[in-house]
Amino acid sequence: MNAPTGAEPSPDTLAALFEILKSFNKAGIALTPGTRFSEDLNFDSLIVMEFVAEVEDAFDISVPLNILPDVATIRELALAVEKIVAEDK
Amino acid sequence: MAALLDRFAPIMSQRDALFGDDGVNPFQVKMDQVLSQTEAMIGGRRTILVGTNNYLGLTFAPEALKAAHEALDACGTGTTGSRVANGTYYGHKELEDSLCEFFNKEHAMVFSTGFLANLGILSTLMGPEDYILMDADCHASIYDGVRGSSAQIIRFRHNDAADLDKRLNRLADKPGNKLIVIEGIYSMLGDKAPLAEIVAVKKKYENVYLLSDEAHSLGVLGKYGRGLPEEAGCEDDVDFIVGTFSKSVGTVGGFCVSNHPQFDILRLMTRAYVFTASLPPSVVASATVNLGLVKNGGALRKRLMRNANKLHAGLTAIGLKIASENSPVVAVVAPDPVMAVAFWRGLIEAGVYVNLALPPATPYGYSLLRASLCAAHTEEQLDEVIAIFAEVAAKVGIVAPAEKKRVAVG
Ligand SMILES: Cc1ncc(COP(=O)(O)O)c(C=O)c1O
Repeated sequence: MNAPTGAEPSPDTLAALFEILKSFNKAGIALTPGTRFSEDLNFDSLIVMEFVAEVEDAFDISVPLNILPDVATIRELALAVEKIVAEDK
Repeated sequence: MAALLDRFAPIMSQRDALFGDDGVNPFQVKMDQVLSQTEAMIGGRRTILVGTNNYLGLTFAPEALKAAHEALDACGTGTTGSRVANGTYYGHKELEDSLCEFFNKEHAMVFSTGFLANLGILSTLMGPEDYILMDADCHASIYDGVRGSSAQIIRFRHNDAADLDKRLNRLADKPGNKLIVIEGIYSMLGDKAPLAEIVAVKKKYENVYLLSDEAHSLGVLGKYGRGLPEEAGCEDDVDFIVGTFSKSVGTVGGFCVSNHPQFDILRLMTRAYVFTASLPPSVVASATVNLGLVKNGGALRKRLMRNANKLHAGLTAIGLKIASENSPVVAVVAPDPVMAVAFWRGLIEAGVYVNLALPPATPYGYSLLRASLCAAHTEEQLDEVIAIFAEVAAKVGIVAPAEKKRVAVG
């Protein structure tokens, strides 16, 4: 699932994720593509699940649970989302 | 170098913040003497048990006790082996035949627990090209089971057939088989799956199977206790039923039943079946006898639901918020974990045992005082339980002041 090194998601995907993250980022941590969900944002398993459900709604996709262990940062999630969107076409 | 379990530090500090003082701790509840299905001595006090999942109260059924004693004397304390080695006795076979007859299905597999049944079946059933679509509120054993599967795992919104439909629709062009996984009654909040709607969605697509975990609905729903599929009239549309003997059947063990013609190969492929010791003969004998009592347990089911509705009404009247209606699980939603712990302690100190369930183990981050009813609860016991809830709720400050006053007077 890991993207080839150097691959960057589109700014639109990142912007959409930042928007969804607003309501989950209670501590108001500055968000960058490299922000990590568990270490930086302190997401526990329950929050991850709620957050993923909102991402699924926003992009109209299903995100398999299988890929979650490989997604640590916002950038990695954006790339995974783009991959799923492309496959669903 | 981090200490071995440092990654649990947030949970440890949460635990210490909630339970760090000298008060009673829910993880240390010890029954010093079991008085009946509904009462035990805990901390030197006679305690009414309202959190045992012993829905029909069969743990002391005389017929089952007798059969268990006989099996114990005839076959010994354990099988010391796996079902596929030396661990299949005549009793295990008889129990599987009884399950087939009970559910009117062709095949049945008995596991050592319900947890292992889910773990084994869900990790084995679907392959790398396949998809599992699970309800988001499914039990930990289902989550752990699908984690061991090579299929793609997709969650749909709890009890939302439209969301399931949307997700199946996205997969409509994919060649793999799909498995929908739900529960009949969800353990924490006690709410039922909308089975007829889910079956209707299932039928819109090709190659879709349905598995229901009837852990909390076996013995509880349906005229003959076959669970939600019986009650909803769609038994033929549920391809796999998983269940446990640890709740209404009153002992321990798990099972899966199905009409799938190739089902039997699972006996060789399911690691949680092959690589663990089988149930002791005494347990198998109690399960077999109690299954018969479950089937003919119409009167017990009536009493269970009468008790559940009485507790629900009593607690609602106090001003408490209950998660589900008309359910053998009466889950009181507390405002936050600190209040929930205070409430739980107040109850146990006054002689009422319920389950304390806190996030992240609960849906929606709820803090719950989860009661489960038993057919054997008496009206007097439930009156006492309701009175104690009222007292403690007022003391903890969980109900509105007006109600507090009324409770204090009453
Ligand atoms: C929904 C559900 N499935 C499975 C299980 C596991 O059952 P067992 O206690 O037999 O392992 C439980 C209860 O613990 C449950 O609530």
